[in-house]
Amino acid sequence: MSVNVYRPHVLVLAEDDANRQIANGFLLDPNIKTRNIQVLPSVGGWGKVLESFVSDHVDKLRQYSSRHLVLLIDFDGRIDDRKRLFFDGFPDDVRDRVFLLGTSSEPEPLRADCGKSLEEIGKSLAEECFHKNSTLWLHPLLVHNSSERQRMTDNVSEIIF
Amino acid sequence: MLQRLYIHNFKTFQNFELKFEGKHSSLLVGKNGAGKSSIAKALSVLQGIGRGVNRVGLLVKPQDFFAAQTSQPMRFEVEVRLQEKTYRYILVLELPEKFKELRVHEEKLECDGVPVYWREQAQVSLRKNQAADEGARFLVDWHLIALPLIQEQSLTDPVHIFKAWLAQMVIISPIPQLMFGESSEETLWPTATGNNMVDWLAGLLGQYPAAYTSISSYLQDVMPDLKDFRYENLGKDNKRLIVNFATESGTLPVNFEELSDGEKCFFLCSVIVAANKSYGPLLCFWDEPDNYLSLAEVGHFVLQLRRAFEQRGQIMMTTHNEEAIRKFSNENTWLIGRASHLEPTQLRLLDELNLGTDVIQSLMRGELYI
Repeated sequence: MSVNVYRPHVLVLAEDDANRQIANGFLLDPNIKTRNIQVLPSVGGWGKVLESFVSDHVDKLRQYSSRHLVLLIDFDGRIDDRKRLFFDGFPDDVRDRVFLLGTSSEPEPLRADCGKSLEEIGKSLAEECFHKNSTLWLHPLLVHNSSERQRMTDNVSEIIF
Repeated sequence: MLQRLYIHNFKTFQNFELKFEGKHSSLLVGKNGAGKSSIAKALSVLQGIGRGVNRVGLLVKPQDFFAAQTSQPMRFEVEVRLQEKTYRYILVLELPEKFKELRVHEEKLECDGVPVYWREQAQVSLRKNQAADEGARFLVDWHLIALPLIQEQSLTDPVHIFKAWLAQMVIISPIPQLMFGESSEETLWPTATGNNMVDWLAGLLGQYPAAYTSISSYLQDVMPDLKDFRYENLGKDNKRLIVNFATESGTLPVNFEELSDGEKCFFLCSVIVAANKSYGPLLCFWDEPDNYLSLAEVGHFVLQLRRAFEQRGQIMMTTHNEEAIRKFSNENTWLIGRASHLEPTQLRLLDELNLGTDVIQSLMRGELYI
């Protein structure tokens, strides 16, 4: 059965193929409740993620109150600018159910630096979330996600683990 | 774990090598006629040998030579890691002039580099045990494969271990309309169409009753109103699979064959997952697992299969479905293709191709070349 829209579930909207592959790895973790999480087709750029969020997802988040949405983008070295841009675009009534994550530049440097495939990176991130520890999450290319990760731990962990 | 598969001069393959490098799940994508399903046919030859088919003519035909090149031998090589040992099996077949049936030119099984037996044409040499250099020699009809004929000494005999692995391969391209609900025997050897699925389920539960929990748990995930399933005796040797669904007023029993095509595939998937857990590690090749499934289900279905094989065993799938493709990544997706019907099949990992864009877009636009 696909995700049940009337029960708590998480949709993941990835900017590009590399982020989609990290999400694939995340879902391979044996502790994930895969029926509660769905990775959507990538949209091709952070701008399109924002555009899709506004035009496609805000109304659906309002319609389905059990829905949570993770936006997976590349910050391209402009973390504060991009966070501000996205957070300003999150309407107050759905803000608590939307999360913004991504590498501070792009996934490729992370892959090169870790010596892991994108799926393996996703698996490691999921494993750390399940065990509530942080190694890869503290990588310089990921550490800026700490506040969003904490928000996800508080709101989404029980849905996906 | 299958580590390497080499196929030469069979179907669309010339000097074709597939190295898995520890991948537990992988996907084959490519145009129609690229040779995806031919990999299943090559594996079926090996599976058939494991299941005791020893007549060469029952496994391959003269028309199976690549581009009718009957003057060159046909070659299969498989390397697999089982119980901490590496097994290597080589089978070379030939079709001499004026022969109608292929015959064995060479055959060999090695375990950790040590020959278990080797054969040239009719002469088979068998290494009796590791201490003895001298083994038995005997002659076998050139048209018979030796592996099914060699007596297994014990459950730890390399011949038994390797043959059992070959026999238990799951090579499947299911046709749900052929999956009937009556079982007349128990087996652990599913057929390619899945038409003996209920026999397989009976065999699995007969030998590994704990598999019921895994199967019902999977099925209840995909069909939340499923209550349980059971076999109903129809006579001395026959039984029928009944699936019970919970309703407000009680239970609704449904004959297995009345389930939808997709629901039958859920059953099949649950049995594959449970079989891999119970008596694996298995090698599973599923040709287009997305067939018969709703769009909302495809991704979950593929992902569940991938996760089930992540810890043990291997699964290889083929697909043309976007959602199924998205559940794999560039490190485990192979692009398979060939330039024309006279050219052999070639294979490249997407990771090795410099993909500038989304793989689905590239495939749809026909931009991916090997």
